[in-house]
Amino acid sequence: MFDPKASPKLIFEQNNPAPKTPSIDLPELDVPKAAIDSDLLADELLNLPEVGQLDVVRHYTALAKRNFSVDANFYPLGSCTMKFNPSINEAAAAIEGFIGVHPLQDDEDAQGVLKMLHETQTWLAEIAGLDNVSLQPAAGAHGEFTALKVIRAWFNDPKGGNDPKRRKVLAPDTAHGTNPASCTMCGAGVISVPSKDGYVDMDALREMVDDETAAMMITNPNTAGLFDGQIGEIAKILHDAGALLYLDGANMNAIVGVARPGDFGVDIMHYNTHKTFSTPHGCGGPGSGPIAVKDFLTPYLPVPQVVKNDDNTYSLKTDCPKSIGKVRSFFGQVGVLLRCWTYIAAAGPDGIRNIGQTAVLNANYLAACMEERFAMPYFSKADKKYCAHEFITVPKDLLAKGVTLIDIAKRMIDYGVHPPTMHWPVHDCLMIEPTETESKATLDRFIEVMAAIADEIQQDAEFVQAAPHHAAIDRLDEVAAARTPVLTYTA
Amino acid sequence: MDYVQITQADRQAMLQKIGAPSVEALYANLPPQYRLERDLCLPAARSELSLQRDLAAMAKLNHTATSQACFLGGGAYDHFIPQVVNNMAAKGEFVTAYTPYQAEASQGALQAFFEFQTQVTRLTDLDVSNASLYDGATAIVEGVLMALNSTGKRRVLVGQTVNPQYRTVIQSYLTDLAAEYVELPATNGVIDTATIEQHIDNDTAAVVIQSPNVFGQIENWTKQFEVAHSQDKTMAIAIFNPIASAMLKRPGSCGADIAAGEGQPLGIPFQYGGPWLGLFAASKKYMRKMPGRLIGQTADKHGRRGFCLTLQTREQHIRGAKATSNICTNQGLLAVRATVYMSAMGPRGMQTVAQQCYHKAHYLADAISKLDGYALAYSGNFFHEFVVNCPVKAGDIIKAGKAQQILPGLCCKKLGIGDEKQLLIAVTEKRTIEELDALVSLLKEGK
Repeated sequence: MFDPKASPKLIFEQNNPAPKTPSIDLPELDVPKAAIDSDLLADELLNLPEVGQLDVVRHYTALAKRNFSVDANFYPLGSCTMKFNPSINEAAAAIEGFIGVHPLQDDEDAQGVLKMLHETQTWLAEIAGLDNVSLQPAAGAHGEFTALKVIRAWFNDPKGGNDPKRRKVLAPDTAHGTNPASCTMCGAGVISVPSKDGYVDMDALREMVDDETAAMMITNPNTAGLFDGQIGEIAKILHDAGALLYLDGANMNAIVGVARPGDFGVDIMHYNTHKTFSTPHGCGGPGSGPIAVKDFLTPYLPVPQVVKNDDNTYSLKTDCPKSIGKVRSFFGQVGVLLRCWTYIAAAGPDGIRNIGQTAVLNANYLAACMEERFAMPYFSKADKKYCAHEFITVPKDLLAKGVTLIDIAKRMIDYGVHPPTMHWPVHDCLMIEPTETESKATLDRFIEVMAAIADEIQQDAEFVQAAPHHAAIDRLDEVAAARTPVLTYTA
Repeated sequence: MDYVQITQADRQAMLQKIGAPSVEALYANLPPQYRLERDLCLPAARSELSLQRDLAAMAKLNHTATSQACFLGGGAYDHFIPQVVNNMAAKGEFVTAYTPYQAEASQGALQAFFEFQTQVTRLTDLDVSNASLYDGATAIVEGVLMALNSTGKRRVLVGQTVNPQYRTVIQSYLTDLAAEYVELPATNGVIDTATIEQHIDNDTAAVVIQSPNVFGQIENWTKQFEVAHSQDKTMAIAIFNPIASAMLKRPGSCGADIAAGEGQPLGIPFQYGGPWLGLFAASKKYMRKMPGRLIGQTADKHGRRGFCLTLQTREQHIRGAKATSNICTNQGLLAVRATVYMSAMGPRGMQTVAQQCYHKAHYLADAISKLDGYALAYSGNFFHEFVVNCPVKAGDIIKAGKAQQILPGLCCKKLGIGDEKQLLIAVTEKRTIEELDALVSLLKEGK
C-alpha cells in the first residue's frame, strides 16, 4: 500500500546494473592506453549504484523536499542565527571567474580573489574594533582552536608574552561545548567559571584568575541571550593578571554596528560568518571562522596572510617566522568568504547597524508576546529586563502537564516551524533566536503557533506527546539508533 | 540592502508591545562607553545591480585555471563537474538548512549524509565514515589525533611524500600536544618499508602514508602497513584520492585502519582552496572514537526507516573537554555535492575518469621524457601526476605558458618538494590530446 511517509529508496536500492547508457558520459579516450601492473589495481569495480540521470535528479529532489530550511520555514534555532541567505550571495559564489582559480596559481593571476579577501579582512577588523584578521579557520570551533594556538604562541615567545606556564583557560559554565573541546585540542586545561543570575560570577572569577591563566573565553551576549555589562571589569581582571580576553563571536549578530569587541577589552575573537554574515549553513556546513586580533598578536596568525602592496596589488605572505603555521590546507573557505563579502558590501554601515538592532528588537518582541505562557528566567517586560538577539524560556507550567521539551519541539514541526535549540544552556529550556530578517507577520504567526501548542498541552497532552503528526516521518527512535548503530547501507 | 523587513510602523508597534521607548533602550545592559557612536568605516551600501557589476569586475581580475589548459595539481585537481551536481547542490532546501538536529524536519539531509557515509566506506574499503570534515588536511589531522588518543602512544611517523599542505597542518596541530612528529625520508619518490622499520618503535601511534603521493607516485600501502602493524596497536593511516579509488587498490584492502583525504575531486570547484571536503573512514572498532557528525539508521513507531544524528555522546556539545574532537560544523553542502557526483557518475563513470587521467598522464609523461634534456624524476609508477626534471627553471616554463593559456604545472621548489628545475605536472580527464601536445611543444621550445 502507498505510504506517503515512507523514506525514498536509498540510492543503493535504485541500482540498475546494466543501463544502456551511462548517467554521465565522457568523450572517448583520445590517447593510446598505457600499461599498468595489475597488482596496483583494485580487485573490483567500486561498489556504487548505476542510476540514470533523471532518477538521480528525482532522488535528490525528493530528499530536498523532506528538509526544513530557511528558504521554506521559520527557523528560530537559538545560537545558530538562521537568517535569510540572499540569492545574490549564492550567485556571487558561483561566478566562474572566482571558482575557477586554483589555490596554487600565482598571486598575479588571483588578484580578484586576493582583493576580495583583503577587503573582507579589513571590514571584519573594523566591525570587531581590532587590528588584524586571519580568514583561514574553517568554522567557528576551528577559529577558537586557531585563536588558542595564537595565544599560546604569544605566551611562548620570549619577546611576546614570555610566560609559557600560562596554560589554563577559563570559560563560563554556560560556554559552548566547543570552547572546552578546543582547549583540549590545544593541550590547554579548561576551568569552568560559575554564573550568577545568568552573568559571570565576578567574585568567583577574581578568585580563579592566577598567574597560570592564559585567557578567558567569553561569549557576549552570552549563551542565555544576555549582554554581560560587566565585560569591562572582566577584561580588567584578566589584563591586570597578565591574561588575555577571548570573545567567542557566536552572538555577534546582536551587536554588529552597535558595539565593538575591541572597544570593550577583547584581545582576540572569532566570527562565525555562517551566523552573523549570512553565509548559508548548508545542512551543517561549510562555515568559516575568521579570527580578529589586536596588533600584538598579528605575528602569530596562520600563514598565508593576504597583504596589500604599495602599488595596490595584493599578495600572499608566507614569510612570518612567528606564525603558528597552517590550520588547514591552502587559504580557507574562500567561497564562503565571498558570500560574506557580498553581504557586508550590500549592507554598508547603516545596514550593519540595522541588522544588529533589528535582531534585538525581533527577539524582545517575541519574548514580550510569549512571556505570559512561556516562563522566562531572564526576560521581564514589567521589570524592563531585556534580552539581546535571543532568549530562553523554561516552560515549567507546560512541562508539568507531562509533556517534554521534545514533545513541544516535535509539535512545532507540524506547524512548519523549525524547533528552537533545546536544553541549552540550561536544562528544559528552549532557546529562541528569530534574527533580523523575519517580518512582523512571521513573528506574529510564531506567537500564535506557540500559544496554540500551549493550549493543546492543556487540552490534550497525549496528542502533543505523539507529535509530529504532519512531518515527513513520525517520531524516530533515536535511542535505538545509538544502541545499535547502523551507519552505512548493507544490502 | 540589509534584508530587514521590519518597517518603521512595525518598529513602533513592537516597541510599544515591549514597553520600551526605543531600540537603544533594549541595549540597557550595554554600558554607554562601549556603544559605537559613529558609523562603521565600511563602503556605503550597494544595490544588487551594483553588486553584480562589482563582483563581475573583481572576477575579471582573476585569470582562472579552468579557462586555460590546466596542469596544476598539488592537492587540487581540475576534474569535470557534471551540471547535475551544481543543480542539486543549489537547492535552497539543502543550502539554507542547518545541522540536522531535528530528525523529523531533516530527513532529506540525513538520508543524503547516510548515503554519503556509505559511499565513502566503499571508496576506502573500510567500515564506518562520518558526515564529512573541513578538508583533507584537517581530516588527516583528526585521524592522527584519533590514533594518539586510541593508542595512548606519542610518536607519529609521516611520510615525506605526504603533500606539504597536509604535513604542515599536522605539525601545527601537534605542536602543543604531548606528541612527537617524525618525518620519514623518501627514497626515489616513495617511502621504503626499510625506512619505516628504522623509525617505528613501541611508542608509535600511527604511520601516515599518502598514495598517490605528492609526486603522484603510487606507494606500496600493503607492505608499508604490514610494517606499521608489526608494533602492538600502531595504526596505519592512508591518505587517499577518491578518484584513484575508482581504479587503484583502496586503503582498507591494503590494511589501513583509517583513511582520510581531500574530497575536492568529487565535483567540487577549485574556489581558491575552499570550501572543500574532508573525507574520513575507519574500521569498525574505532567507531566510537570517530570525530564529527555521524548519521545512523533508525525507525519510527510504525517501523518506517528514517535517519538521525547518532553517537552524539562523542561530541563537544555533550562532552565538552572530553569530546573526541571540537568539530561542530562540517561541510554538509559539499558532502551533498560529492554524494550527487558519485551517484551521477556511477562506478563505471568514475572508473572512466580515473583511467583517462592515468592514460593521459602517461601519454604526456612518455612524450616529455623523450624530449632532449627532460626526464621523469622518479622511476616508480604514478597515477595522474608526475615530476619532471627540466633543463631550465620551472618558473621560466610557467612564465612561457602564460602567452599560450597553458598552466604547465607547479614549481617543486616553491612547493617545498624539490628544486627549481623540477616541475610537478597533473593531468585530468579534461585535458585533450591537443593540450597535451601543446605542453610538449612548449617544453621543447622552452629548453
